[in-house]
Amino acid sequence: MSDHDHGHHHPREASEVELRARALEALLVEKGLVSTDAIDAVVELYENDVGPQNGARVVARAWVDPAYRERLLEHGTEAIAELGFGGTEGENMVVVANEPRVHNMVTCTLCSCYPWPVLGLPPTWYKSPPYRARAVAEPRAVLTEFGLELPDHVEVRVWDSSAEIRYLVLPMRPAGTDGWSEEQLAEIVTRDCMIGTAVPVAT
Amino acid sequence: MTEPTALADVDAALAGAAPLPRDNGELVFEEPWQGRVLGMGVVALERTGSSWADFRPHLVAAIERRPHDPGESPATAYYAAFVDALESLMSRGELS
Repeated sequence: MSDHDHGHHHPREASEVELRARALEALLVEKGLVSTDAIDAVVELYENDVGPQNGARVVARAWVDPAYRERLLEHGTEAIAELGFGGTEGENMVVVANEPRVHNMVTCTLCSCYPWPVLGLPPTWYKSPPYRARAVAEPRAVLTEFGLELPDHVEVRVWDSSAEIRYLVLPMRPAGTDGWSEEQLAEIVTRDCMIGTAVPVAT
Repeated sequence: MTEPTALADVDAALAGAAPLPRDNGELVFEEPWQGRVLGMGVVALERTGSSWADFRPHLVAAIERRPHDPGESPATAYYAAFVDALESLMSRGELS
């Protein structure tokens, strides 16, 4: 998780809206509609919801389990569901594997379709019109801007997500990761690796 | 206790006109009350069997109704509207 500075936090008197929020909570508790514990549980869950971790676990499993990798590439949605991920915006997942001579990257030229259950919310640049247009027109230039220089013999394939199909890139397992546990492997799989604008490196 | 509604489902329900405030994909809660407002909405809708589809128009309307205050951060404005929307659901007897 990134070190996130929420900022804007000035110690001060409770604002009018904060007081209203507290009053509303008290009322909902009184009516038996919420409990303080249940609210705490939701807040904790949502604050720690880092979507890309789900995708990273899928990738790590595919790296250590060839049979899983096969299922993942054949039937993405089902294989991802094996790990407990799925639902809205991830109903039809297609996983595309990077190979020594093939690099995949994902965009959505029409809007910003994105596999939420495995990657969380899309980054701002993914939704930006320049990325969406240029990912198709000049993918190599875009990748260079992300710091990814691919040799000429590597073919770049661009996948255009749609409301029906969401793509996930299965990156290649980097050298220097022999004997790593699945958890260790998952840690080096970033969101960008699964969009295809980066590749994992052993750190 | 059953699992709370998945955040992805809340996101999907509010996408477009009333997305949860985020910074680089992470939810923005500038102050604890903002997280609690979202939490109480999630729990109250679950307990009453109300759907996010029912809640959405209330939230969208509350956002539109709220006067723009340049001194107010987007997250504060959003969760203030969220409070308005929950109150409006309650006053219509849809949360009981």
